[in-house]
Amino acid sequence: MAIRIAIPKEVSPGERRVAATPDTVKKLIKMGFDVSVETSAGTLANYPDEVFKAAGASIAPDTDSLWESADVLCKINPPQLRSDGSHEADSLRDGSTLISLIFPGQNAELVERLQQGSKTAIALDKIPRITRAQKMDVLSSMANIAGYRAVLEAAHLYGGFFSGQITAAGKTRPAQVLVIGAGVAGLAAIGTARSLGAEVRAFDVRPATKEQVESMGARFLMLDVPMDESGESSGGYANIMSDEFLQAELACFAEQARDVDIIITTALIPGRPAPELILQEMVESMKPGSVIVDLAAEQGGNCTATVPGEVVTSSGVHIVGYTDLTSRLPTHASQFFGTNIVNLLSDMGGAEDFTVNFEDEVLLKSTIVRDGELTWPPPPDPEKPATATPAKPVVAEAPAPRKKSGTGHGASSEPLAVGPRNMIALTLAIVLALIGFTAESAPVPHFVQQVTVFLLACFIGWQVVWSVTPALHTPLMSVTNAISGIIVVGGLLGVAGSELNTAAVLGAVAILIASINIAGGFLVTQRMLQMFRKEGN
Amino acid sequence: MELQSFVAIPNVAYLGAAILFILSLGGLSNQETARRGNTYGLVGMIIAIAATILLLLVPDAYGTVREIGRNNWAVLIATALLGGAIGSVMAKRVAMTAMPQLVALLHSFVGLAAVLVGISTWLTADLGGHGSDVVHLLEIWLGVAIGAITFTGSVVAWAKLRGWLFGRRVPGAPLLLPGRHVLNAVLALACIGMAVPYLADTTAQAAPAIELSGQLEAAEDAFERLETEETRAEVARLSSELQAINHPTTDSRAFLLLLILTCLTCLLGVHLVLAIGGADMPVVVSLLNSYSGWAAAAAGFMLANDLLLVTGALVGSSGAILSYIMCKAMNRSIWNVVFGGFGTDGGSPSAGGATIEGEVTITDVEEVAELARHAKSVMIVPGYGMAVARAQHLVNEFSSMLRSKGCNVRYAIHPVAGRLPGHMNVLLAEAGVPYDIVLEMDEINDDCPDTDLVLIIGANDVVNPGAETDESSPIFGMPVIQVWKAETTVVLKRSLGAGYAGVGNPLFYEENNKMLLGDAKDSMAQLMALLN
Repeated sequence: MAIRIAIPKEVSPGERRVAATPDTVKKLIKMGFDVSVETSAGTLANYPDEVFKAAGASIAPDTDSLWESADVLCKINPPQLRSDGSHEADSLRDGSTLISLIFPGQNAELVERLQQGSKTAIALDKIPRITRAQKMDVLSSMANIAGYRAVLEAAHLYGGFFSGQITAAGKTRPAQVLVIGAGVAGLAAIGTARSLGAEVRAFDVRPATKEQVESMGARFLMLDVPMDESGESSGGYANIMSDEFLQAELACFAEQARDVDIIITTALIPGRPAPELILQEMVESMKPGSVIVDLAAEQGGNCTATVPGEVVTSSGVHIVGYTDLTSRLPTHASQFFGTNIVNLLSDMGGAEDFTVNFEDEVLLKSTIVRDGELTWPPPPDPEKPATATPAKPVVAEAPAPRKKSGTGHGASSEPLAVGPRNMIALTLAIVLALIGFTAESAPVPHFVQQVTVFLLACFIGWQVVWSVTPALHTPLMSVTNAISGIIVVGGLLGVAGSELNTAAVLGAVAILIASINIAGGFLVTQRMLQMFRKEGN
Repeated sequence: MELQSFVAIPNVAYLGAAILFILSLGGLSNQETARRGNTYGLVGMIIAIAATILLLLVPDAYGTVREIGRNNWAVLIATALLGGAIGSVMAKRVAMTAMPQLVALLHSFVGLAAVLVGISTWLTADLGGHGSDVVHLLEIWLGVAIGAITFTGSVVAWAKLRGWLFGRRVPGAPLLLPGRHVLNAVLALACIGMAVPYLADTTAQAAPAIELSGQLEAAEDAFERLETEETRAEVARLSSELQAINHPTTDSRAFLLLLILTCLTCLLGVHLVLAIGGADMPVVVSLLNSYSGWAAAAAGFMLANDLLLVTGALVGSSGAILSYIMCKAMNRSIWNVVFGGFGTDGGSPSAGGATIEGEVTITDVEEVAELARHAKSVMIVPGYGMAVARAQHLVNEFSSMLRSKGCNVRYAIHPVAGRLPGHMNVLLAEAGVPYDIVLEMDEINDDCPDTDLVLIIGANDVVNPGAETDESSPIFGMPVIQVWKAETTVVLKRSLGAGYAGVGNPLFYEENNKMLLGDAKDSMAQLMALLN
C-alpha cells in the first residue's frame, strides 16, 4: 500500500489556508503517494473538494477518518485544541508522521504531547536556512506573502495615492514608505510598494543587506555610528546590538517618522519578543492618516501601540497588527506552502524511499520527535559557535534568501577546492623538500628523495587542479601540454655532448618536438583565454 | 667567488620554475586570473631553460666541465627555433573545433620526446659511475615504455579525432580484436621480461668501465701523493681508456632490447586506444594527458632532474583528475577506459532501455520564436552537434538579442558537451558568449524548474531523463541536465535518431517538449530572422 498523505482542514480561527492544492496533490501522486483531503479543507482558499478530487485525491468525509488513515499528516498550523475540546496532536496515529509548523521553543506542551506513542513530528519552521533547503522553507515563502499583503493593507487604509500624480486637478507627491528590516518580508514589501509607485527607504542592522535593498529600488538608511557590528547571527538572522547602536537607530526612526506616510516593520529576533522600535512619541509625531503595518505583531510588535490581530487608531495614525496576513492571501499562500511540503517530501525520498534520515541536515535540524523520541534541539553545529553578545535587542527579521547560484561565475567549484592557506602550506612543503634534496650531503638515498618530491608534487597537482573551474579545462590541458614541454631539458642534456653522436641526434629531435609543445601550448592557451570575456566587456 | 658556487643557481631557478608552474595551474581557477596564470607558466619555462643552459656551462658537483661541440650548439639552437616556429604557426592556425586534435598531437610529442630522451640518456650513461645503477637503468626502461604508449596512443587518438590519416578515413568505431586482453597482457609481460636481459647486458658492458674507474681512482690518489711524471701519465692513459668504454654502445644487445621495447610499447599504445570508441575521446584525451605527465616524470627520474619530476607529476595528476571527472560525467569506470574496449560510437543500439510510449510533438520556427519572445528565462543546452553545424555564432546572436530585451538567457554545459573537457566553453567563448552566463550543470540544475524555455541544440544524452529514472537504461546513473523540469523544452535536432549511446530519449515524448527538426544553423538563422 502506498503511503497516504492526509491534509486536514485547519482549525485555528480565521485560518483560510490549506496545506495542499490540486497542483501539489498531482505532484504528490506522481511521486507515488496516496493523498486524502478532508472535506471542505480548501474551500476558504478557493479550492473546493471537486478540484482536489479531479487532481486525484480522495476526500475524507470527516476529521476522524482522515486522521486515522494518515501515514503522513501535513498541515499548516501547530496542532491545537479543537472547538470540541479534543487535541489534534492526540488524533495523530501511532507510527505516523506529522509535518507542520510546530515552534517547539514556544510550544513545550505540544512537544510533550507529540512524544506520546511512537509518532514522528517534523517542524517546518526548523528547516535550516541552507541553499539546498530554500525550496522547503515555508518561513521564507510565507514572509514573502506577508510583506506583499502588508503593503496592500497599508494602501487600503491610507487616504492617498501611492504613486505621484500630475493631473489637471492638481499634483501629489509619491507616498513615502519606510521599511524596517530587509529580510524576505521586508524586501517583498519594498518591491510591492515600489511597484505601486511609492518612494521607499529601508533600514536593517545588517549592512550586508544594503545591496539587496538598493537592487529593489529603495534607499538604504545609514546610521552615523559605524556599522561594523555585523548584526548577522548564524543562519542569517539579525543579532542583538549594543546600546549606542540602539540609540542611534531610534533617533533615526524618530526623524523618519515625521517624514513618512507609511511604516512597515518586520523586525524579529528569533526566540525573543520583537524589539520595540516605533515608540509612542514617534507615532504621535506622524502625520494624521499615516499607516503603520506591524508584521511583528504576533511577537508583541515593533510598535508600542500595536494591538495584535487588530487595527487601532492612535492620534490619527492607523496601526495594523494583523497576525494573519498570509491567510489573507489564501490561494497563493496555500500553493506556496503546499509546494514547500512537496519539496520536503521529495527530499525525504518520495513515496518509495520515505525515511526520516538524520544524515540529511534538513531532517536532522527539523525533526522534533522521531518514533516517540525527542530529537530536538539538534546537536549544535560544530563550525559556527553562536556569539550572542548580552545587549539589548534591535532590528531585523527573517533573512533574505541566499543568492541563488545563478547568473555569474561566482559559484566557485566546491569539490575539494583548496583555500589559499592550504596552497601556501603545500608550496612551502615542496620548497623545503626541494631545498633539502638538492643539498649535496642529504642522508637519504637519491632515489628515495626523488620519490618523495614526486609524491609531494602529485599531491599539490591534485589539490591545485581540483580548484580549476571546469570552464577552463581545455586551456588547462593545453597549458599542461606546454609545461610538459619542460622535457626539452632532457633533450638539452642529450645534445650537450662534445660530438654529434646518436645520443645527440636523439636529443636534438626531442628538443625540436618539445619546443613545438612549449610554443604551441602557451600560444594556443593565450589565444583561448583571450576569447573568454565577461558580459559588457 | 668560486666557480662551483654557481652550481646552486640552476637548482634555485628550478625551484622558482616549479613554483611558477604550480601558480600557472592555480591561476586557471577562474577566468580573471587565467591569463596571468599562463604568463607565470611561460616565465617559469624561460627560467627553466635558461637555468638548464647555465647548468651545461658550469662545472657539475664533481668539478668537471662539460665539453660541448660547436656543432652541438648549432643543432641545439636550430632545433629549438624551428620547433618554436612550428608550434607558433600551429597555435595561430588551429580552429577551435580542432583543439582536441591539437591537444592529442601535443601529447604524442611529449611521449615521443620521453622515448628519445630515454634512449639518449641510456646512450650517455656514465657506466663507470652511477650510470650503471640498476634503479637508474630501470627508470630509463619505464620512461621509454610510458613514453611510447603515450606517443602512439595519442597519435591514434589524434587520427580518430580528425577522422583521417594519410588520406584514408579512420573509423571512430572501436577495433575489438579477439582476445585483446590476452594480447595486452602478453605485450606487458614481454616488456617486463625483457628488462632482465637488458639489465644483465648493460651491467656486463659496465663491468670493465667500473674496474677501470676503480684503477683510475687509485692512480689519481697515487698522483696526488707522489706527483711524478709517471703517475700523471698513468692517470691520463686510464682516463682516456675509460672515456672510450664509459658509454653503452649502439651495437650491443641491450640497445637492441631497448628498441624492441619501444616497438612493443608503441604497439600496445596503438592497440589500447584503437579499442576505444570515437565517442569517448574526451576521456581518452584526458587519460593521455595524464600519461604524458607520467612520461615526463619518468624522464625526471632518469635524469635526476627535480623540475622535470615536479612538472610531470603536476601534469599527470591534472590529467588523472580530468579523466576522473569525465568518467563520472559519462558514468564509466576508469578501468574500462584504461584497458579499452568501451564506447560503441553509435554502433548497435544498446539492448537496454525501457521502450517509450507517447507522441513526439513537432514544432516550427514560428512557434519557437513566439515562445522565445514571451520567455523571461531561457536556458540553452549546447552539444557538440551545435559546433558541427557551426551554429554557435548564430546562437550567440540569439542569446545576446534576448538578453538585450531583458530576458535572462543562460547556457548550461554538461561536462561531456564537446570532445574535450571544457571544449564547449571554448567554442562558446570563441563565438563571443560572455563566460559569466555559461554555467556548469551543477550550478544551473536547480534553476531548471524556474526556466520558461530550454533550447537544446545538438545535445541528446546529456538531457535524457532516463538516466535518472530508467534503471534498465545503459546510461542510468549518468548525471544529466534536468531540462524536463522547465516550462517548455525545444530540441533542435536533425532527426529523431538516438544519441551516441544509442539510447532513446524519453524527453522527446514529454508533453512540454517540442522538436524542431532540421539543421541547427538553418533553424537558428530562421529564428533570428523572425525575431528581428
